[in-house]
Amino acid sequence: MKFIHLADVHLGASPDRGSSWNGRREEEIWETFRRLIGEIRDHPVDLLFIAGDLFHRQPLLRELREVNALFQSIPDTRVYLIAGNHDYMRKDSLYRSFVWADNVYFFKEEHLTSVKDPVCDVTVYGFSFHHQEIERELLFGAVPEETDGLHILLAHGGDDRHVPMNYRNLSAAGFDYVACGHIHKPNMPARDQIRFSGALEPIDRNDTGPHGYVEGQIVRGRLRTRFVPFACRSYLDVTIETDEETTQHSIEEEMKEAIAQNGPDNLYRIFLTGMRPPELLLIPERLKSLGNITEVTDMTRPAYDLQALLRQYSGTLVGDYIRHFQEKGELSVVEEKALYYGLVALLETGRP
Amino acid sequence: MKIDKIMIRNFGKIHDKTLELGDGINVLYGENESGKTTIHTFLKGMFFGISRSRGRAAKKDVYSTYEPWENPAEYGGTMWFTQGDGSFRLTRNFEQNHQRFELVEEDGGRTWDDPEALAELLGEVSEAVYDNTVSVGQLKSVTGTDLVHELKNYIASYEGTGDTSLDLGRASQMLKMSRKGFQVQADRTRKELLKEQEKLDVGIDYLEKEIDSLSDKQRQIDEKKKSLRLGDSGGDVLERHIRGAKKKKTLTMLLFGAAAVLFVLMGLVLTDTRMKIGSAAVGVILLLIGIFRNQQLQKEIRRRRRMKEKWMAKNKKVRSDKGAVESAIQDKRRQIESVQVQREELEEQLREMLPEELEIDAINLAMETIEALSSDMSDQVGRQLHDRTSRILSEITNGKYRDVRFDEAFQMTVNTGDRMVPLEGLSRGTLEQIYFSLRMAAGELFLGPEPFPVILDDIFGMYDEERLSGVLRWLHQEKRQIIISTCSRRELDVLEKEQIPYRGLLL
Repeated sequence: MKFIHLADVHLGASPDRGSSWNGRREEEIWETFRRLIGEIRDHPVDLLFIAGDLFHRQPLLRELREVNALFQSIPDTRVYLIAGNHDYMRKDSLYRSFVWADNVYFFKEEHLTSVKDPVCDVTVYGFSFHHQEIERELLFGAVPEETDGLHILLAHGGDDRHVPMNYRNLSAAGFDYVACGHIHKPNMPARDQIRFSGALEPIDRNDTGPHGYVEGQIVRGRLRTRFVPFACRSYLDVTIETDEETTQHSIEEEMKEAIAQNGPDNLYRIFLTGMRPPELLLIPERLKSLGNITEVTDMTRPAYDLQALLRQYSGTLVGDYIRHFQEKGELSVVEEKALYYGLVALLETGRP
Repeated sequence: MKIDKIMIRNFGKIHDKTLELGDGINVLYGENESGKTTIHTFLKGMFFGISRSRGRAAKKDVYSTYEPWENPAEYGGTMWFTQGDGSFRLTRNFEQNHQRFELVEEDGGRTWDDPEALAELLGEVSEAVYDNTVSVGQLKSVTGTDLVHELKNYIASYEGTGDTSLDLGRASQMLKMSRKGFQVQADRTRKELLKEQEKLDVGIDYLEKEIDSLSDKQRQIDEKKKSLRLGDSGGDVLERHIRGAKKKKTLTMLLFGAAAVLFVLMGLVLTDTRMKIGSAAVGVILLLIGIFRNQQLQKEIRRRRRMKEKWMAKNKKVRSDKGAVESAIQDKRRQIESVQVQREELEEQLREMLPEELEIDAINLAMETIEALSSDMSDQVGRQLHDRTSRILSEITNGKYRDVRFDEAFQMTVNTGDRMVPLEGLSRGTLEQIYFSLRMAAGELFLGPEPFPVILDDIFGMYDEERLSGVLRWLHQEKRQIIISTCSRRELDVLEKEQIPYRGLLL
């Protein structure tokens, strides 16, 4: 028995509006889903679990037809579906009336129900969101039936406002596998037993790191799962350390290298940290043009020794300025930046 | 505080040189290039150390300039000074790999190896304060107008910052330029997002128009349906009509059939032949009428059947049309909704602060803070600086100039007793006197109960003899140690002539 578990495909999402690659991303998200179905067509698995948020919002009829046609193209695979908080089953949701292909089973209730797979010795459990939020612990006390075979639960949620989950209880409940969705970063609260597949494609710039699906298989009587990276791009965070020798050019070179190394197709967030020469004024928009860069966050500080400056300039405006900020205690990001902006301006424009 | 003695081990071109200084006026006399500036730098280095510049600037920094030619590992010397009730000995080696700091209290015997202890002893005199008040260098300007300008800058930055090396105008310029850069970026991003929003709005408009035209179609269908009159139960009504006609047909058949049979039977029973024939004929006629009527009714049934079929077909079409239009409208609505979701996401993005806007906030905070602190400083320093400068100027000129006034824009005028003269109208010598008064006034502002020595580096070059004696007499009655360095003998001559006690130090 072999299955694929995925979630949070978010068909219809169009991340990074306003950037040069917006629009392309919307199509890419569909394309990756099609590509996955194609993969299953070529190498069929028994079961396909989609743990919610297949769509980014209420699906349109043509979208459901498109997805259904894709499912129809893998007749050897049974597809189990639930609605998540994004594509929740509103009163007028097409999920309520849509007639799926024979190999598709959609869990319509907002409470746990189960169905026996017609071929494999597997019982599948699931529920769908009828609301945007479910704050109650819907899975509290959920246990599998006392029948033979595998018991697999599809669940969407895992945060305070979306079906809070207690992984220890869930793990003890006795399900052989819990296929979770909602959290976009792949993770594994219980090894080979509870997994978040993560979003199939990253949906926004906070979804950093690899994305894909989980593949499960019975190996020598035991269920083994593994994460398979499948997204066509990743959002990556690149941190560049600066020092007192740094120049605009050296940062640009380092960025170019990092992008070349990590793949020019990926989407990058750049973080600059460390000390920098006080007289260096970075031009961030130049950095943004070096690749698919969503944002550049400059957290560098001018290489000033504040205590030494305070000592040196005590009794003058510069001293007062440093003291003014130091007396605030813990500085907010804006305050810290203000401290250095002011210092650079005062000290770098001074008469020698 | 008083500096008693310095012993320069190795500093620049000077090595193993001891100078003993006295109370009151000390004159450090030497030709150009004899090392006066070296001694000034040494003194400052002893108090505050010599820090290295970063990167390329290190090649030309103070450290490199005064690195000793011989014996570079011993780069420094010793200074003896009195502060409060204690006398101290301070030894430093500036060499970066052999740095040493030792401060010894000579009577108490306490020793410190942390420069922080010296900073504490110096109290309010930080390095910047020292540069601005203790050590007085020459005015750099050559021409009168430049000098006026320099003096104005000096007073403006001193008032606003307590530090004449700062330039608030340029600092604020720099901040504004950075802010502008971020603003342009932020505006561009926002414009881009708004453009996206507009695109979505156009999409929504389009979908709504489509819904409108679908609604028109829906109305047309409704009208058509109304024109079919019979409503949803039309099929039943028409069926009832058919059934009625069928019943009528059966009834007619029964009635006429029965009557015909009756007459025919009657004909059989009757004996009168004419009657018999007549009765049979009536029976046959009735039968014929029955058949005819039956056929008529059959026709009507067929007509009604056709009517029903036609109606049913029309009704079915209307219904399916209506269903299609309704589901199309519903789908358009869903599409609008999906665009609206995107629009909300955009709005969310627009509500969020852009990274550039964070930088702008920080720059604004920096500008506000600098302005507020600087205005505090002006309030504190301004009045006192005016008063003291005026007093000192009056004292060194024997009351010739009484009052220096600065207005908001740092325009300065001097009261000569009978009229107010703007700075531009004064001679270079007088400007130098005002500069001196300002520097001394600034020093007094900072120096508390125990005045710091004042170190005057060749500042009297432009003074005529009268001005020089005025200023030296004034310095003499000041209760502080004065170190004058000069490359001409004029200061010594005037001091002799005025019989002012001093200690001469020949380099």
